[in-house]
Amino acid sequence: MLIAYLLVGAALFTLGLIGFVTRRNLIIIFLCTEMMFQGIILNLVALGRYPLASAAAGPLDGQVFALFLIAVAAAEAALGLTLVVLLYRYGRSLDAGTLTTLRDP
Amino acid sequence: MENLLIALLVLGALGLFLALPGGRAHLARFAPVPLAGAGGVLAAVVLRAALSEPQRAWFAGLALVALAAAVRVVTHRRPVYSALYFVLLILAVTGLLVLLEAKFLAAALVIVYAGAILVTYVFVIMLAQQATAASYDVRAREPFWGCLAGFLLLAIVGMQLLSGGAATAAGPAAVGTVAEVGTRLLTHYAVAVQVGGLLLLAAMVGAIAIARRKPAADGDGGESAA
Repeated sequence: MLIAYLLVGAALFTLGLIGFVTRRNLIIIFLCTEMMFQGIILNLVALGRYPLASAAAGPLDGQVFALFLIAVAAAEAALGLTLVVLLYRYGRSLDAGTLTTLRDP
Repeated sequence: MENLLIALLVLGALGLFLALPGGRAHLARFAPVPLAGAGGVLAAVVLRAALSEPQRAWFAGLALVALAAAVRVVTHRRPVYSALYFVLLILAVTGLLVLLEAKFLAAALVIVYAGAILVTYVFVIMLAQQATAASYDVRAREPFWGCLAGFLLLAIVGMQLLSGGAATAAGPAAVGTVAEVGTRLLTHYAVAVQVGGLLLLAAMVGAIAIARRKPAADGDGGESAA
């Protein structure tokens, strides 16, 4: 059963990664990072529920770690969306491809 | 089992490639076919093992909903619908967490993600989205290579999981109630909770500082005004 949960988590992470790479809308790029967080949370909790035989962690450490992950995701979403709004006011576009100011000439 | 995984991944990659917005309208019509095929194969596999145990049937249904919602988040052309499908994804993941006996974490996930983070996303979408579909929403960037790289990664991880296999103990049935998780959090991880609070405070201050800044035309990142 653990393998099935890990596979679903890996699939969520991969779908988020594909969206992160291929989409051009900044908002959807951030949504895809949140989707990767979901895959990781699922992995952590599944590994806490069905621990490996050699695991040294306590029974609830996976869930506690996932809680910290939610806190970090909330902080990241707040800062990231603020930057998105600022970039939109700056360039009137949400296209990630237009943000080339820092690129090598 | 490995062959089945490969077939699933190929079907999924093909469907996702066709479904990504890329100006291939004549091809995008066929995108549901491989995706539905992948979903059907997955459902058949899991249901065949699920008939013995109702918990596995719940797992199969929730996993299918989560993956379908994830595909729609990635491929939908309108960001508002992407955000709404993300709520569906959150609810499905919450169901999976309940199956894993992580009750407090499931509640926290719904409150924080579906309640707080998604509302922020919808606000930003309303602030920044044009009325008509923008050009950057209807054309993805390199969907073929993105799908290829992503599903290659998934294939490698999946093969490793299936072959390395099942060195798991059943483990103590730790139920993640508020009391259990809270005790663990505030005794063993008390310092980390403080650091997490500091991180959230710093993020809040940073977000306010960034939001007050006016876009500077000369690009020197001018001081906050107003």
